Amino acid sequence: MSSNHKHSEPANPYLEKRRNGEETSELEKRVSDIEALLISKGIVSKESLDRMIEIYEKDLGPMNGARVVAKAWTDDEYKSRLLQDGTSAIAELGFSGLQGEHMVVIENTQEVHNVVVCTLCSCYPWPVLGLPPSWYKDAPYRSRIVLEPREVLEEFGTFLPEHQEIRVWDSSAEIRYMVLPRQPEQSKGASEDKLVGLVTRDSMIGVGLPKPS
Amino acid sequence: MNDLKGSQVKAEISMMEGRDSLPRKSGDLVFHEEWEKRAFAMAIALYSSGYYQWEEFRDILISEINSSGETAANPKPEKPGYYEHWLSSLEKLLQRKEIV
Repeated sequence: MSSNHKHSEPANPYLEKRRNGEETSELEKRVSDIEALLISKGIVSKESLDRMIEIYEKDLGPMNGARVVAKAWTDDEYKSRLLQDGTSAIAELGFSGLQGEHMVVIENTQEVHNVVVCTLCSCYPWPVLGLPPSWYKDAPYRSRIVLEPREVLEEFGTFLPEHQEIRVWDSSAEIRYMVLPRQPEQSKGASEDKLVGLVTRDSMIGVGLPKPS
Repeated sequence: MNDLKGSQVKAEISMMEGRDSLPRKSGDLVFHEEWEKRAFAMAIALYSSGYYQWEEFRDILISEINSSGETAANPKPEKPGYYEHWLSSLEKLLQRKEIV
């Protein structure tokens, strides 16, 4: 990775495993002691802990971003704040936690369709989009979306009119992009809650479109 | 048992910023061992059930991390890892709250 590509704001120092087998068994014992105690007191259950882990590992889904999009579709003033200062407008809905990066929201129009990538690693606006799909981190997506975006989108099943320009936005440590997809015609007038369900993760990355209805 | 109450990712946890921010790679939480996940989940379950405020846990966690002298700019791989600090914090808080 190029050294002038400032992707990791001082890297979290805890990303590598540190302990050997013996040390690990001591730690395991400390944890299982607490767990046994909490279970015996009826404070937690094994299942509830499993579920909790699953939620934090997997369920940080794109719902946050979907709410942002649905609000922008139904509230023009919110939309202009969102396009002007994505970070603040997203924070208005209670989603924050970006570590120094700015959120920039780019709007799809009849003329322009936007797609987000991180060509050098896999910067991703996870507080709004949840966990990145595996293809987002793959080298083929990262290189090909820049070179032949239309072909890549078609492989995703997204066929755009020829006159629509495709713009590719390269995320970085400082700027994380999110696409504001166009609202499906059939969904005009629907409630915000209903609209949330139409917004897919892929439509906020730009490789897909929202569900029509 | 209502520790599944609000079984949604809590922003005050997932979005912690600073020295105690959760280790992540591209958004994915980084766990090396099963015990780390269980310690992680227990601290959150107790908080979700109202045994303490998240800030109380976090304050201890931050002071544990600070006392190791390790920072992002000065990594010390021989020192306790993130979830060791987390576990120690949980043990301390359980004692303070007289749960153990």
